[in-house]
Amino acid sequence: MTVPLYHVLILAATLFSLGLACVVAWRANVIMMLIGIEIMLNAVMLTFVGGSAQWGIADGQLFALMLMALTSAEVSLALAMVVYLHRRKRSVNTDDFDSMNG
Amino acid sequence: MKIYLSLMLLFPLFGAAISSLFGRKLPRRLVETIACAAVWGSFVCAFLAACTYRAPEKVTLGDWLSAFDLLAPLSLYLDPLSLSLAVMIGFVCGLIHVYSVFYMAKELDYARFFALLNLFVFAMLTLILAENLPLLYLGWEGVGFCSYLLIGFWYTDKRNADAGRKAFITTRVGDTALVIAVAWLFQLTGSLSITQLNGMAFLLPGGVITGIGLLLLVGAMGKSAQVPLMVWLPDAMAGPTPVSAMIHAATMVTAGVYLLARMFPLIGGSATVTAAVAVTGGVTAFYGASCALAQRDLKRVLAFSTISQIGYMMLGVGAGAITAATFHLLVHAFFKALLFLGAGCVISAMHHEQDIFKMGGLRRTLPLTFWCYLAGAACLAGLPFTGGFFSKDSILAALWLKGGGLYRGLYLLALLTALLTAFYSFRMVYLVFCGENGRPHVHAELKAMQWVLIPLALLGLFGGLLNLPDYLGGGFLNGFFARLSGGAAAEASHLEELALQGVASVLALAGLLAAHLRYGGKARAQRLKESALSSSALTMFLLNGWYFDRLYHAILIRPYQALSGVLWRRMDEGVIDDSLDRLAAGLGASGSWLGGWTTGRISVYIFSFAAGGALILGYLAWLTL
Amino acid sequence: MEAILFYLLAAVTLIGTLCAITARQAVRAIVYLVTSFFALALIFYLLGAPLVAAFEVIIYAGAIMVLFLFVIMMLELAHPEKLAKPRLSEWWPALILMLVVIGSVAVLAAARQPAPPAAFHGITVREFSVTLFKRYGVAVEVISMQLLFALVGALYLGRRR
Repeated sequence: MTVPLYHVLILAATLFSLGLACVVAWRANVIMMLIGIEIMLNAVMLTFVGGSAQWGIADGQLFALMLMALTSAEVSLALAMVVYLHRRKRSVNTDDFDSMNG
Repeated sequence: MKIYLSLMLLFPLFGAAISSLFGRKLPRRLVETIACAAVWGSFVCAFLAACTYRAPEKVTLGDWLSAFDLLAPLSLYLDPLSLSLAVMIGFVCGLIHVYSVFYMAKELDYARFFALLNLFVFAMLTLILAENLPLLYLGWEGVGFCSYLLIGFWYTDKRNADAGRKAFITTRVGDTALVIAVAWLFQLTGSLSITQLNGMAFLLPGGVITGIGLLLLVGAMGKSAQVPLMVWLPDAMAGPTPVSAMIHAATMVTAGVYLLARMFPLIGGSATVTAAVAVTGGVTAFYGASCALAQRDLKRVLAFSTISQIGYMMLGVGAGAITAATFHLLVHAFFKALLFLGAGCVISAMHHEQDIFKMGGLRRTLPLTFWCYLAGAACLAGLPFTGGFFSKDSILAALWLKGGGLYRGLYLLALLTALLTAFYSFRMVYLVFCGENGRPHVHAELKAMQWVLIPLALLGLFGGLLNLPDYLGGGFLNGFFARLSGGAAAEASHLEELALQGVASVLALAGLLAAHLRYGGKARAQRLKESALSSSALTMFLLNGWYFDRLYHAILIRPYQALSGVLWRRMDEGVIDDSLDRLAAGLGASGSWLGGWTTGRISVYIFSFAAGGALILGYLAWLTL
Repeated sequence: MEAILFYLLAAVTLIGTLCAITARQAVRAIVYLVTSFFALALIFYLLGAPLVAAFEVIIYAGAIMVLFLFVIMMLELAHPEKLAKPRLSEWWPALILMLVVIGSVAVLAAARQPAPPAAFHGITVREFSVTLFKRYGVAVEVISMQLLFALVGALYLGRRR
């Protein structure tokens, strides 16, 4: 592999910021927000794997795997909540759920 | 001896404890009985102690303060001075307690009253029996505290509460000086024991003794109502009459004289101090007598007479005649208690009217009170062969014998005061008891109250027997006090003494005559008429106690109030409160402003969170560049 | 050769993601995203992580995205007219954040270039598994517990009442 690490990192950063932009911009749709979070998590995984390749040890890949496990847990709960909230308010717009204001 | 002394103190203390803790639950008769029994038990102990007394004795009851080299055990000292005072206090206070039972028969808050009276007796006994200065100070403050509560006993009336506060604050000025003196003595000698300190007098430099003596004098001024700290005593009349009797006769005001007499071996070495004491006493005696001339309130007349008589005692101490001063103190206690209790009877009979110009005719309706009161007035005036005559005369003789221009001058002032005393005493008697215009109300309690006066009248009249002059066989007290350091006064020849007494008796009789001419018989009606008109400037001057109250108001209270006002409005409210208020308001405003950020919208939170992260990241990148 | 492939795949990933986050419909976004994840999985493979690449395809592109699709269909969000698209003004803060993040990371990554990697031929499954179960055994247990909790939570939230 001849790609320098920082190219990998820049790719990861770009992916991450795309995910962030998705989360920030798609306030009207909670599912798109969750998709943005997935993108960000993938960017993080890419960083881990890149690091693992740089130093030749398995730990980075391992954390990528754990991240995947955690993400699946998170997504299943988050989607269950989306279903629950949609059932209550017939809406997926996050701005509709503002009852916990100060 | 130990058991007598401890019981003497414990009886009143227990009485006070029982009355204050359970007084409201117990039946009234029981509380009254306990209170009286406590004091009489204390008197019996004092009497038994006197019977078994052989030599000065020091009794230690237990440890109290002991830290490093500061030792102040609960130790009592019994010597002729404290013994004679203890017996007198037990007796007079016992009578006053019995009297109070009848006088306060309609008072609902009797438990508090008797608890305080008992505590008062306890504090005074502690004061006189204390062997070390901290214990004495405990009694000293206890007396001040009880007097404060008792003067303001009817505290719902603001005037009474103010009088109590005035007494407390004024005596506090003196107390401060006393504390400084005690601390100074400890710093100098490392000891607080009175006997040790008195024995160490010769070790201390003269200037230091003068300083300490003057501080003690200021302490005594506050407690004994001497010029210039005497303003509280006339106002202390706001309390119930038995309390006035107690303060004036047996407890409280005599404490200052006692302190000086007690510490005399220490401070007597300084001529400056004795002169200062004597001048204070002389000026106070004259001040009190002159003010008493113009007073209209019966109790205020007696209050000023007390100031004047205490002045005499201070004169005696200043002249180095501890025996004479103590003698006068004892006799004065008897006849002043008598006068106050008699005044209580009169006031009670006159429906709580205290203006002597509105009284009259009580001679026929209250004969017993009249005769006893007359005996008291005769003692006060120093008519020949009464107790007051002998005691006052012994002070005058001591002054005369002391010699020197200052003491001769004070002697003349004291003679003038004696004349005034005789005059105002009988002015009071004539106005209260002669004439016709009274409509007294004789009730059952009054009849009982009168009987209490009889033993006091007898003691007052025959109190002279305690210490007869040498030519009549010599005095008991002289011999008793002879071993007390500073007790033995200079001896006068019989002829000289007779001459001095002759002068004093002539002056007393002259005062009586003057009072008779001005207030007796038909002249009385004339004076009553005049009293309704506006008074002359001199009368007003005397009536208001030389305007000392106003002077203090102008030079002390007004600036203090102004300062307090500034501190209150500017400092407390302006700076401290306002700054806190503003801080609180600012925090509240910023809190609600920040609270506005919690919109409840996840999008805002996420954006803030991401922006914060981006900022940190940007900062790190900027550092790298 | 590998480098060229990497840059190609990176381009595919970025374009796929960009299309996903700007898609008009959620279903389309999911499909774009699956494409992007496939490319990402290949990048993982190129970086010597065949196992992670396989899991990426199986779990992410397979399971999680399908779950998203289920939910979208269940909620009937597929109709384009129902979706409120973000307005342009809502994209501005997102764009600014993006620029800041990418710029910062580029600066940081370029400033600290590590030494080029030693000869590296990927990590074998054996090596991976030994590390996973020997060194991170506890973490595996914890994650399995968390999956259980997520399962219970999802069941609780999704039950009919």
